[in-house]
Amino acid sequence: MNSASVLALALGATSAAKAADAPAALIIAQGGLGDQSYNDLAYEGFKKAVAAAKIEGKPVESKDVVAQAADILRRASDAGFGLLVDLEYSHGEALATVAKDYPDTKYVILNQVQPGANVASVLFQEQEGSYLAGALAALVTTDTSIPGINDKPIIGVIGGTKSVGIDKFIVGYIQGAHDVNPNVEVKVAYSNNFGDPAIGLQMAKAMYDEGADIVYQVAGGTGIGVIQAAKETGHYAIGVDTDQDGLAPGSVLTSMLKRTDVAVETVVGDYAGDTFPGGKTVTLGLKENGVALSDMKYTKDKIPAATLAKVDELKAKILSGDIKVWNAVDQGYPDFFK
Amino acid sequence: MIDPLIHAALLMTTPILLAAIGGLVNRVGGIVNIGLESMMLTGALVAVIVSADTGSVVLALLAALVAGGIVGLLMSLVVTRLAANEIIVGLGFSVAVAGLVRFLLKSVYGVSGTFNPPGVVMLPRIDIPVIADVPILGAILSGQDPLTWFAWAMVPVTAFVLARTRLGLRLRAAGSAEMTARALGLDPLASRDASTVFAGAMSGLAGAHLSIGVVGLFNEGITGGRGFIALAAFYFGRNRPWRTALGALLFGFFEALQIRLQGRGVPAELVQMLPYLIVILVLTGLGLANRRRSGSSS
Repeated sequence: MNSASVLALALGATSAAKAADAPAALIIAQGGLGDQSYNDLAYEGFKKAVAAAKIEGKPVESKDVVAQAADILRRASDAGFGLLVDLEYSHGEALATVAKDYPDTKYVILNQVQPGANVASVLFQEQEGSYLAGALAALVTTDTSIPGINDKPIIGVIGGTKSVGIDKFIVGYIQGAHDVNPNVEVKVAYSNNFGDPAIGLQMAKAMYDEGADIVYQVAGGTGIGVIQAAKETGHYAIGVDTDQDGLAPGSVLTSMLKRTDVAVETVVGDYAGDTFPGGKTVTLGLKENGVALSDMKYTKDKIPAATLAKVDELKAKILSGDIKVWNAVDQGYPDFFK
Repeated sequence: MIDPLIHAALLMTTPILLAAIGGLVNRVGGIVNIGLESMMLTGALVAVIVSADTGSVVLALLAALVAGGIVGLLMSLVVTRLAANEIIVGLGFSVAVAGLVRFLLKSVYGVSGTFNPPGVVMLPRIDIPVIADVPILGAILSGQDPLTWFAWAMVPVTAFVLARTRLGLRLRAAGSAEMTARALGLDPLASRDASTVFAGAMSGLAGAHLSIGVVGLFNEGITGGRGFIALAAFYFGRNRPWRTALGALLFGFFEALQIRLQGRGVPAELVQMLPYLIVILVLTGLGLANRRRSGSSS
C-alpha cells in the first residue's frame, strides 16, 4: 500500500466522523459526460470541490435521464448520498417532490427555483455577462481597423425561442451595447429551434447581409450554425454557456460563459462546510465569477487594448453597483426592449 | 435584399426537395415513408465523416447515398416482408436512428450533440459567369451547389420515369394494384423495396446537403424535422413531381422570408408561423378549386 492511499484512508476516517459529510452525487444531464460542455464543466467543479472538502463524490449517469426523473432521484436518495446536485433541467419538479420524502438529504437544482427547506436553487446572472458581450460588440463594430468589421454600427443577436429566459440574455446584451454607444443598432431574431444549425446559419447570414458584423447567439445547437456563418463570411459570432471560441478560432469574438463548475463547486463547498443554503436561491453573477467573458484566446490580439480596458471598466462598475443590469426574469421587460 | 432572399430560399428548398422526391416515388410504390428523417440524419453524419476522412466530396455524397439507401432497405424489408405497419416502423426508425447516432458519436468519437471534425470539405458552389451579374436570374442560377442542380433535375426525370417508362408503370402497379401486378407475374414487393431504397438514397443526399452543403458539421438536430416537411410536400403535390417541387419551394421560400421579416416590427411568433400558415392556406385554396372543378363537371 503506498503512502497516498494510506493518507486517503486516514482522511476518509476523519471526515466520516462529521454528519454532514455523507457522500455527494452529481446527476448528469442529457448529453452525458464527455459532452465537452455543460456536463463535463460541472463535473470538473464537482471533482475539485469533493477533493477540497475531502468527501466522497460520485457522478450518476443514466440512460433515460429525462423520462426517469423521479426514479433516478429516489434511487440516489436511497443510496445514502447526503447531497444530490442535479444538472438536468427537466428534473425540477420531480426533485421538489422527492426532496419532501427525504428531509435529511440535500438537493441542488440549477437555472430554476424549486421549493423545499432542503433544496438549494442556483441561478446565473446571465444578463451581466451578456451586458459585457454587448458592450464589447458595440465597441468593436465601429472600429474598422479590426479585420472583418464594416463601417455600419450594427450588431445582432439570435435567440433560440422568444421567452423571458432567453430575453434575459438579449436585454443585457442590448443594454451593454447602448451604454457604450446609443447609436448602435441591435438586430434581434429568434430561430424557434435549439438544434437546427442550418437555420442558425441562414439567420446569421441574413444579419450579416444587412450590415451586422457581430452576432451573439443564445440558441444551443442552432447557434453552432451562427458560428459557422461567421467563419464562412469572415464576420464574428459570440458564443454562449461554454467557451466556444475554439469552435472557429478567430471568428468567435468571445463567449459568454456560465460557470457551471463554479456553481457546483460553491454548493458542494457549502455543504461540506455545513453552510448549505437550503430553501434559498443562490445567484451567481460577475462578482461570484459565475458568469464571465472567455479569455478570447484567438481574438485578443485583434482588439485594441483600450477596448478591452473599457470592458474591464464596465465590469468593475457592475461589481461596484454603479451599473445595474436589467434582469428580465425578475423585473419584466424594460422600455428599450418590449 | 431580393437576391439574397432568392438564393437562401433555393438553398433551403434543396434538402426538402430531395427527400420529397424520394418520398413521392416511395408513395407511388405503395409505402408512405415516415422515416425519411432517419435516412436524412444517417446521410448527414456519413457525409461529414467521409468528407473529413477522405477530403472527397464525391465519395462523401456516394457514401451518404448508400447509407441512406441501406436504412431505406432495412425499413422496407420490415414493412414488406414482416407486414409491419409502415407508420409505426417509420416513426420507430426516426427515433432509433437518432438514438444510434447519439450513441455512435459518443462511443466512437467521444462527443455529444455536435461533431465537427477537422478537414470537412464542403460542396462547391457553381458560379456561372455573366449570368451571375444579372439580378434575380443570377441569384437563381449562379452560386448553387451541385446537389441543388441535381434535385431540380430529378423533378422532370421523376415525372418522365413514372409516367412514360416500364419501370414507372410497374412501380405504379405495385402501389395501386398489388394483386393485379402479382397476377401478371410481377414482383410488387421487390418494386416497393426498390422505391424505399431510392427514397433512402435521396434522403441520404438531403442530409448530406445540410451537413456538407450548408453547415459544414454534424449536429444531432441538423435535420430539424425536414423529413416531415418533405412528407407534407409530396402530400401537397399529390404524387406529382412538379407540384411536389412547388410545395418544397413554398416551404423554402417562406422559411427564408420569415428569417428576413424578423425584427421589422412584426412579432417573431407570428412571423415564424408563416411557412406553415401559407401551406395550409394554399392547400385549402387548391382543395376548394378542385371541388369547384369536379362540381361543375358532374
